[in-house]
Amino acid sequence: MNIIETQNLTKSYGDFTAVSHLNLHIRKGSVYGFLGPNGAGKSTTMKMFLGLTHPTEGTFSIDGKTYPSDRMDILKEVGSFIEAPAFYGNLTGEENLDIIRKILGLPKSSVKDALELVGLTQFRKRLAKKYSLGMKQRLGLAGALIARPPILILDEPTNGLDPVGIHEIRTLIKSLPRQFDCTVLVSSHLLSEVELMADDIGILNHGRLLFEGTMEDLKSNACAAGFPTDNLEDTFLAMIDEDNRKGGGTKCP
Amino acid sequence: MKFFSLVGVELNKIRRSKILLILFAPVILMWIPCVINAGMNFDLREIPITPQNNFFIQGFMGMVWFMIPASLIICTVLLTQTERSNKGILKMLSLPVDTTKLCLAKFTVLILLSLIQMAMTVGTYYISAAIASQLQDYNFILEPLYVCRNVLGIYAGAIPMAAVFWMISILIHTPIFSVGIGLASIVPSVFMINTKIWFVYPMSYPFYLLMVEYGKAAEGVYETQVAWLPWLPVAVGITVIALMVSCIRFGAAERR
Amino acid sequence: MSLSLEMRKLKRTGYFFAFLAGGLLASAFPLVNMLVRPENFVSLPGDPFTILVDANWQMMAMLNILISICGACMMYHTEYADNGMQKMEVLPVRPSSLFWGKFAIGSLVLAVMILMETSVLSGCAVHWFPAYQFDFLQVAKSAGFQWMVTLPTVMLMLVLSSACRNMWVSLGIGVILVFTLSILPQDNLILSFFPFSSPYQTFSTAVEKGRQFLLLGVCAVETIGLGLVALLYQRVRRWYQ
Repeated sequence: MNIIETQNLTKSYGDFTAVSHLNLHIRKGSVYGFLGPNGAGKSTTMKMFLGLTHPTEGTFSIDGKTYPSDRMDILKEVGSFIEAPAFYGNLTGEENLDIIRKILGLPKSSVKDALELVGLTQFRKRLAKKYSLGMKQRLGLAGALIARPPILILDEPTNGLDPVGIHEIRTLIKSLPRQFDCTVLVSSHLLSEVELMADDIGILNHGRLLFEGTMEDLKSNACAAGFPTDNLEDTFLAMIDEDNRKGGGTKCP
Repeated sequence: MKFFSLVGVELNKIRRSKILLILFAPVILMWIPCVINAGMNFDLREIPITPQNNFFIQGFMGMVWFMIPASLIICTVLLTQTERSNKGILKMLSLPVDTTKLCLAKFTVLILLSLIQMAMTVGTYYISAAIASQLQDYNFILEPLYVCRNVLGIYAGAIPMAAVFWMISILIHTPIFSVGIGLASIVPSVFMINTKIWFVYPMSYPFYLLMVEYGKAAEGVYETQVAWLPWLPVAVGITVIALMVSCIRFGAAERR
Repeated sequence: MSLSLEMRKLKRTGYFFAFLAGGLLASAFPLVNMLVRPENFVSLPGDPFTILVDANWQMMAMLNILISICGACMMYHTEYADNGMQKMEVLPVRPSSLFWGKFAIGSLVLAVMILMETSVLSGCAVHWFPAYQFDFLQVAKSAGFQWMVTLPTVMLMLVLSSACRNMWVSLGIGVILVFTLSILPQDNLILSFFPFSSPYQTFSTAVEKGRQFLLLGVCAVETIGLGLVALLYQRVRRWYQ
């Protein structure tokens, strides 16, 4: 069963099309890796899911609810981490989470749990503006996870983390569906990373969906198309390169 | 989520902003010259007013014409900037909160801050009046009921202006411009107060109320009665329209 | 070179637009005043241009000051907001040329604003006072005087905003200074020399009291002195960074 579905989802700014006729299918209880180079339209798509930007064309449904009529209901079910860092610099990490907690009407203990989950407990009293990039990233994740939502939308959550941090967060994301019975949509520009976390992947370039399916599908597809398959990173690069040479769907130099 | 707990959340967000200090500084600056020049209150230049009333009104003059509006502008900018500087607003918009409620909660915080400043002013007034009384050996202290009634009136008169400034700060994203427009709008209030259409200009309301009080305390200086009509409906209209526009446009730029 | 560079940095900040709008707004004062209540002024004895200046300059000068504050804050905000200043410091440019470039722009746009305002004032005099003979020298002298006495304020604001990395601090100090000096008595000689207070002095009053050259001299000294203080401070700050 698909928990998130889009039908011809399109977003254009003037004559620039950021997302073009996207048809995504995200299975319930899976980790869906959303892959593409910088500026491919990943963040724009995720922002549309959260009502942070209005689709120019097309529709989407999340858990059977549609935008814009059910915006509030969608937001109640979704934990999100978009365009980090989004926080209040004059407040401590703990106070930032407390604001989210109050708005969502959660018990007091949830702040402590969320801090624990992302490993920020010892820095909870520090002002958020004094956090390092990695700590800000963790704070954002904590804000997404705090309500244990059935759907998680995470935009490049490992950006700016050190190798140890990347590993920790990856392991955490991978364990989420089992731990909290949720669906995760996670974006990245590294195939090697998505490969380690995701059950399904969707590859986006210039706003268009190049591929959607499981990792095995990707491998067999690439093989059939004559792309290199021994290293997945090369497969991804070759696919993008091929698409760019074809014109990439939008006006390209 | 309940409106009042949202106001609590908003109050939490402006922690460590030192806003109370910023609000307190002009209050102090305003009363120091009043205490030093307290002797001038006996030189009334033929105006039939008692020195203690003169002390009160001259002291509040700077407050109503410049400092209340300027403090309100600084507060609005503080409130919008805490949201925008680290994209906190994006987090808020992706949480299940009604943007209208959020916008009104912020406005409530704004007028709460103004109320705090008013309380500071009253407190400072009594301290400076007491010091002036000691220095000049004359009782400058007015009865609390009179002072509080006037200050509350001025405060209520400042609410439409607060709504307009709030709207400006939401509509205009470059902070320096919203500040510039706000500050520039203060200047003509001295001029507007002497025209027949003063009631369409919210920045002059507190000034008008104080001038009427001046008129009551000193005959012939200004009008002695508040002209409720058509002022009241116009003021309510301006407030409602400004708040409606703010609520509609709040967070709109972040949701393009 | 540094002037055109500084100009380019202000692209798309709305800086020049702000000054234009401020100038228009200030020019609107005498116009509105004459349109709404001409009877209050046309019957007054004396020189029409002086009457108009006396009636309107307080508010116009205050607007000039407020716009100059915003302008100075904006100039240094573009430097500090995204660490542009840091980049400038590692390039082979003298920090002093950066500062003087900004001051040159600030004083130039102020000159344009004041020219606009004085032309409107003289226009009003021509239109509403039939007996008025347009006197170019008088208007030019007046504009030049008002420009000179506003320069210390522009300079002090630039000094403040170059010293404060956070725009709100400099803006807040500026607003409080405007307020404090506007409620102090204007006829005190010493107080009239202060930045934020000198712009309210009008040419005709200064001539009447025979202190026009004194005022101009003091303002020139203040402007240069404050500029040197800013450069000294910048140099000291670099040692402690």
